[in-house]
Amino acid sequence: MPVPWEALIPFGLLTTMFAAAGTLLNTSKMAQNQGKPPRYKIDAWDEMMMERDRRLTGHTRGQRSDPTPPEGFETNSVWYTEKTQ
Amino acid sequence: MSNTFHDPSTSDQPYKDPTPLPESIPRVQELGTTSAYLKSAAFFLGAHCKEFNEDFMLCKAEDRDPAHCLKEGRRVTRCATDLITKMRENCLKDFDLHAACLEKNNHEYYACRKPERSLNKCMFEKLGLTKTIPGSPEGKTPIHLVEKPVFTTIQK
Repeated sequence: MPVPWEALIPFGLLTTMFAAAGTLLNTSKMAQNQGKPPRYKIDAWDEMMMERDRRLTGHTRGQRSDPTPPEGFETNSVWYTEKTQ
Repeated sequence: MSNTFHDPSTSDQPYKDPTPLPESIPRVQELGTTSAYLKSAAFFLGAHCKEFNEDFMLCKAEDRDPAHCLKEGRRVTRCATDLITKMRENCLKDFDLHAACLEKNNHEYYACRKPERSLNKCMFEKLGLTKTIPGSPEGKTPIHLVEKPVFTTIQK
């Protein structure tokens, strides 16, 4: 008896579409994070450190070990003001 | 435009104040090292700069005002800069590897034990600093020395 291979086409399509979507999402995430997996469970400390990294390197995932900071690092931090009366 | 006063509390954007500190405050070079390298060096900073760090934390415990602890803060910065410079001179390759591993793994220590072991070995040989985890339970091996830990990353 001939095997009904046409019935398996939708399964193949589903698998391919899932794989393609997943790969596209992964590639997009890695590209946004300079080729590294994204950071997760970021708390206030991590946010502060990543903002500091952005001031030092230009990108929140940039890393450098040089202890000498770039020009203007000491004064370019942002102060969040509260409402005053 | 530059004559009007823009009250920071009424702006809809956070603001940056570009004026430097007054001349009366001694200047110290700020530390330009980013988060992954600092996390990698964290326990060595604790070992090397213990007194300065404790001084600063005790000072902060008295008064949270930034102006109160500037002197202790300068000492902490200088000690940290000194240690990072020494680490880069002596153990740069292991330092880079461990920091890169942390960057790929959401800055989790448990994911990077192998590079950490070589960094600890290099630091002990060249600079005499060991990593000790304060508050680890008595009688049990500290988690960074356990040979076969329970919690690891999924194999990649």
